[in-house]
Amino acid sequence: MAESNHGTGGLKFDKKKIGWPNELNIFIALIIIILIFEALGQSLPYMKDQSFLFDTRDRFDSIFNEARLRIIILQVSIIGIIALGVTQVIISGGIDLSSGPLVGASAMIVMSFAQTELVNGGPNPKAVFGEWAFDLPVLIPVIIALAFGALIGAINGSLIAFTRIPPFIATLGMFLICRGIAQAWTRGKPVSFPTEGYAALGSGMMPVYWFIGLAILFHFVLKYTLYGKHTYAIGSNEDAARMSGINVQRHKVMVYMVASMLAAFAAVILSSKNLTAQSGMGIFYELYAIAMAVIGGVSLTGGRGSIIGTVLGAMVFGVIQSGFTYIKLDAYYQLMAMGAIIIGAVVLDKVRQERAALRT
Amino acid sequence: MRIKSLVAVGVAAFISGPLMAQTIGVSIANFDDNGLTIMRNGMTSHLETLKGVDLQMEDAQEDVAKQLDQINNFVASGVDAIIVNAVDTDATEAMSNAASSAGIPLVYVNRQPGNMETLPDGQAFVASNEIESGTLAAFRMCQDLRAMGKSGGATAYMLMGRLSNQAAVQRSKDFHDVIGMDMCNFITLIDEQTANWSRDEAQDMMTNWIASGEPFDAVFGNNDEMAIGAIQAMKASGISMEDVVVGGVDATPDALVAMEAGEMDVTVFQDLAGQGAGSIDTAIKLVNGEKVDKTVFIPFKLVTPENVGDFK
Repeated sequence: MAESNHGTGGLKFDKKKIGWPNELNIFIALIIIILIFEALGQSLPYMKDQSFLFDTRDRFDSIFNEARLRIIILQVSIIGIIALGVTQVIISGGIDLSSGPLVGASAMIVMSFAQTELVNGGPNPKAVFGEWAFDLPVLIPVIIALAFGALIGAINGSLIAFTRIPPFIATLGMFLICRGIAQAWTRGKPVSFPTEGYAALGSGMMPVYWFIGLAILFHFVLKYTLYGKHTYAIGSNEDAARMSGINVQRHKVMVYMVASMLAAFAAVILSSKNLTAQSGMGIFYELYAIAMAVIGGVSLTGGRGSIIGTVLGAMVFGVIQSGFTYIKLDAYYQLMAMGAIIIGAVVLDKVRQERAALRT
Repeated sequence: MRIKSLVAVGVAAFISGPLMAQTIGVSIANFDDNGLTIMRNGMTSHLETLKGVDLQMEDAQEDVAKQLDQINNFVASGVDAIIVNAVDTDATEAMSNAASSAGIPLVYVNRQPGNMETLPDGQAFVASNEIESGTLAAFRMCQDLRAMGKSGGATAYMLMGRLSNQAAVQRSKDFHDVIGMDMCNFITLIDEQTANWSRDEAQDMMTNWIASGEPFDAVFGNNDEMAIGAIQAMKASGISMEDVVVGGVDATPDALVAMEAGEMDVTVFQDLAGQGAGSIDTAIKLVNGEKVDKTVFIPFKLVTPENVGDFK
C-alpha cells in the first residue's frame, strides 16, 4: 500500500488533509462576493431595485441577467488565458513579469500580418507593410504569434535555467525589451483594420470559448501528463526533482515557452476583439494574471495550485469588476478596493494554510 | 604634450561639430499614447522642411521625476531650446525654473502647464484650447439628440480618460457644463466611469452598462478610442447604432472609418501634428529672440458625417 507523494512537496501523503479542496474555498468566496453585491444593490437607494445577477426587467428567458453573466467572464477571459501560463510558471517555482508587454509586442507584430487591403472601399489608412501582407489567411498571423511567443519564452527560460539568474530579474528585463519592441515596431502608431477571418477569432464570446477550452486542455496537461507532474515536482523541491532524474533545465525552458505562447495567443484574441493593436496594450496584465493565479490558490513558493483555482480566481476578478460598475462605485475608489481585495484574499489563504498545518 | 593638445582639439571639434546646428531637446510624456504619437510625428515631419535644426527626442514614460531629469540633462548638454509635453501639468514650475536659470527657451506643448500665469520670459505654451474640444462634441451630440426628437428626455453614459490627466477632467467637465445648459438639460447622465483612454476597457465597461439593462440614447467618450470601444460593445449586443448618438474627441483614422460606417456621430479634430510643428516654430522664434505670445492656439475642428471626407 505505498501511497504516492508526487506533487505534495515531499510531505507524507495524508488523505484526511485533502478532504476540503482549496478550490471549494475560492468558490465559496466567489458566492459570498456575489451575495454582497446583490445585497448592496437591494439596499443602496439609487439602485432602483436592480439585481446584480438576476433578470428583474424580463429581458431574458432565464431567471438570470444573462448579459451580466457574459460580461463577468468575457472581461477576464483574455487576461485569464495569460493566467493559465502564469499558473504553470508559478507552480514550477518561477514568476513571469514579461507577459503584459509581450501582449503589446505580439499584438503589434501579429496585427501587421492580419490587415485587410480595403477599408470602406478605400485603402487601409494604417497599413504597415506593402501589398504582400494584405488579406493573408488567418493561420499565418496566429502562427507568427505562437512563434514569437515561443522565442521570447525560450529566451526567458534559457536565461533562468542556464545562467541561473532569478526569474524575477530575467523576466523584468524581458518586460522592458518587449515594451520597447511594441513601441519600435511602428514607432508607436496603432495598427488597425484586420481581415474578417482575423476579426472572427476574438469577436463576441469567442474569448470566453478560447479561455475555457485552453483551461480544460491545461487542466488535463497539468494533472495527467508527465509535463504536469514534472512541473509540480520542480516547484516543490528542485533538488529532489533533479536527483530523481528530471531534466530540470529543459523542463523550465518548456514551461516558460508555454507561458509566453499563451500570452502571445492572448494578444491575438485581444487585438482581434478590439480590431486594433496598440503599443500600450497589456499594461498591468502581468500583475492581474499573477493576482488571478494567487487568488486562485497558486502558491508563490511553487509546487501548489491548479488550473481550476486560477479559473475561479479570474471569475472573482470578473465579478468584482462588474460589481463595481453595477453599484456605480466612483472610479476614483475602484483601484483601492481592488488592491485591498487582492491582499485580503492572500491573507485569508495564508491563515487557512497555517491552521491546516497546525491541525496535524 | 603635442599629441595631447591634438587630441584635445580633435575632441573639441567633434563636440562642437553637431552643435553648429540648432538642437532642440524634446521630452514627450508617453511614446505609447496614440495622440501624442501623431504630435511627435508632426514634429519629425516638420523638421524635414527646416534646415539646421536637430531634435533630441526623449520618452518620459508618464514619470514626473524622469521628465525633470531629462530637462536637466538637456540644460547640462547645452541645447538651444527645450520642448516639453508635460507628464504632470502641476509639476512644471521646476522645469520652467531649470530652463530659465540657464537662459534656455522652453516651449510647453499640448498639455497646459500649471504655472501658466507666472511663465518666465522666453517660455510659451502651444496647444489647442482644451475647453473647445469637449464642448464642441457635447453640444453637437445635444443637437443630434434634439434632431432625433428626444428633447423630451434623453439618457447618456460617459467614458472618462485617465483621471490623473487634465484633458480627461476638462472634457468630462465640459460635458457636464453642456448638459447643464437650458437647451441641453433634457439629457440625464446615468453613470460616468473611467476606461483609461483604452478601447478594450471601454468595451468591457459599456458591456457592463448594457448588462444593467437601463435604456440610453448617447455615449460620450473623452477620446475616440473609448467611443469606438463602446460602439463595438453595442454592436456585439445587437444595439442599432442609428438609435444611439456616440461622440468622441481626436478624429483618429479609426474613428473616421467608424463615422463613414454610420456608427460614430461626432468627433473633434485636434490638430496634433499642427501642435507639434507649431511647438518647433515657436521654439525657433524664441531662440532667435523674436516676440512670441505666451499662448499659441491651434484651433479644434468639429467632425461630423457631413464633413468627414475633409479629414481623411
